[in-house]
Amino acid sequence: MIVPVLHVVAVAAILFFMGLACILARRSLIMILIGAEIMLNAAGLVLVAASAYWQRIDGQLFVLFLMAMTSAEVSISLALVVYLRRRQGTVVADDFRKMSG
Amino acid sequence: MNDLLLFTIPLAPLLFGVVNALCGIRLPTVVVQTFAVCGVAISAAMVLLLWPLATGEGTQVILYTWAESGTLQVPVTILFDRLAAPMALMVSGVSTLIHLYAIGYMKAERDQARFFALLNLFVFAMLCIVLADNLLLLFLGWEGVGFCSYALIGYWYGEEKNAAAGRKAFLVTRVGDVFLGLALLWLFAATGTLSLSAINAQAAALPAATVTAIGLLLLLGACGKSAQLPLMTWLPDAMAGPTPVSALIHAATMVTAGVYLLCRFFPLIALSPTALAAIAGVGAATALYAATCAAAQQEIKRVLAYSTMSQVGFMFLAVGAGAMSAAMFHLFTHAFFKAALFMGAGCVIHLADGENSIFNLGGMKQRSPYLFWIFCAAALCLAGAPLTGGFFSKDAIFAALAGHGGWFHLGLLGIASYTALLTAFYTFRLLYLVFAGSGASETKGHHLPVLMLWPLLPLTVLGLLGGLLNLPPIFGGGSWLANWLGATASHLPAAQEWGLALLSLLLVLSGWLLARWRYRNYRAGAMEGRLPEFLRLGWHADSLVEKLVLRPYRYLARFSSDGIDRSAIDGALDLFAKAILAWGEYLRLVVSGRVSHYLGGVAWGLLLVLGWLLLTTVG
Repeated sequence: MIVPVLHVVAVAAILFFMGLACILARRSLIMILIGAEIMLNAAGLVLVAASAYWQRIDGQLFVLFLMAMTSAEVSISLALVVYLRRRQGTVVADDFRKMSG
Repeated sequence: MNDLLLFTIPLAPLLFGVVNALCGIRLPTVVVQTFAVCGVAISAAMVLLLWPLATGEGTQVILYTWAESGTLQVPVTILFDRLAAPMALMVSGVSTLIHLYAIGYMKAERDQARFFALLNLFVFAMLCIVLADNLLLLFLGWEGVGFCSYALIGYWYGEEKNAAAGRKAFLVTRVGDVFLGLALLWLFAATGTLSLSAINAQAAALPAATVTAIGLLLLLGACGKSAQLPLMTWLPDAMAGPTPVSALIHAATMVTAGVYLLCRFFPLIALSPTALAAIAGVGAATALYAATCAAAQQEIKRVLAYSTMSQVGFMFLAVGAGAMSAAMFHLFTHAFFKAALFMGAGCVIHLADGENSIFNLGGMKQRSPYLFWIFCAAALCLAGAPLTGGFFSKDAIFAALAGHGGWFHLGLLGIASYTALLTAFYTFRLLYLVFAGSGASETKGHHLPVLMLWPLLPLTVLGLLGGLLNLPPIFGGGSWLANWLGATASHLPAAQEWGLALLSLLLVLSGWLLARWRYRNYRAGAMEGRLPEFLRLGWHADSLVEKLVLRPYRYLARFSSDGIDRSAIDGALDLFAKAILAWGEYLRLVVSGRVSHYLGGVAWGLLLVLGWLLLTTVG
């Protein structure tokens, strides 16, 4: 393996926490979704790295499924965002507080 | 002759009572009344028809097995013996006459089906007590008469006073019933059987202490039904019921059930001198107490109620003196003349248009001479005037006491003599106040129906001639009842018997003269003062019960309700619920509804999980 696995994992960790920071810091629904995508991709990267490290095919297969699932998830969540925007006139997460206890 | 026919005696009133209860409201009143009279008349006829079965050892017959569990056998058994047969005849015969009277008395009432159904059910329950061999059947009857008495006292339940009187009677007698229930359970535990005849047969084998305890429990049970001290407060109030009910239940039959019970268990009770002495003591105390109260009452029915209590006290006294036949003798004569007196009182009240204070009545002799003579004859029996039934039965009790000797029984004889004097006094007081003079209430009043008049006649005749049932040898009789019951007649010297008869005569005479001197031309109205008031209120027994029993009980109830239930239990639960609620208020703040907060929560949770993993892997 050209790149040492530790580097890949470190990049994945950085990506993951960047995604997390994006989710926590931003208030726009779209930016939160993007953060979630970044975190998913970080997880995928770790899987691919692990797959290469142990010379097993499972991790890569898993990543393929992950991509398919993510595309489906993104399409649904974007549709929801569009719907919310049409209904409430906003995409700021903090404006949706009807579920307050 | 088929022995099973014996079951028609209690079942006939039950059948007609149930028919009246179920569809009486749709039937014409005449049919309801006919059914009711038929029910009891059939019983009376059957008792007469089946009389031969009672001779010898009597007849015991089983209808079916009611319940069966291990050693517990509850067959529905009738014991028709020398004691039960005359009692059954008295109950059904007197009931028949009183049912006829009731038809006249209830003419203007609305709920006749209810009245007659309950009256028939009462007779059924009473006959259950009289005939039952199985103690559970006896207890069924015992509770049955209590229920019917309750429902009939409160017959005019529209008025709170009447309903309260019914409740009081029910609750006070229930106290006695608890003791009876205990006695029955103890008997079953001690002998392993519930059959009365079997228990009496093996009573001698029981330990003396057990017999005494059971005897005392039976006495307390009998006290409740028979209105003896200390469970007597319900009887005067029970007069709130219609007069036929007072005559039937609270004079002739139900209140004597206690005496009958003790007689039924006599072979058992006679084994314990302590129990006998307690019975005699209770009887004497009640007789004296009730006689003093009767002498100060203002309402005609209350006078009779207290006199009933007093006479039943005499019967207890006889049982306690060991003279079971004298008790039954007095029970019979008393049933006849007291029923006649009550029905006469009903006629008087009817004539006076509902007036029942003896100080406002008067001059009834002119209104209805027939009623006067009937009432006078029955009153003579009650006073114990010589040669009436009451004279002989009371004399038999005196003779039994005198025959016993000993200071205890002679003391009781003294009390009984004084009570007899008081009895004569209050009886003639009643007679003078109600019938003598010219009445104040002559103007209004009703005409008496024939059915209210003629049932009095046979009862009065029976009361007057009741002495023939058990005429003592010195009067040329053969003590038929005592021989029939197989009791050993007391053998007093003839001189002593004559002395007792003379004593009775003197007591009656002095009572009469006293009442004549005081009340012949009495116009002063009700007596004022502390003593008459004290006696009129029954020695303040009601307020004593209120102070000693009801008030502490009420305090206890209030303490249980406010102190324990509401404060402690409810308080603790409320506190717990409030804590949960307050906690929930805080927890509610967590659910802010903001996505960013939730995401923050997820992140912190993630941090915790990761930290935990780090710690465990490193550690």
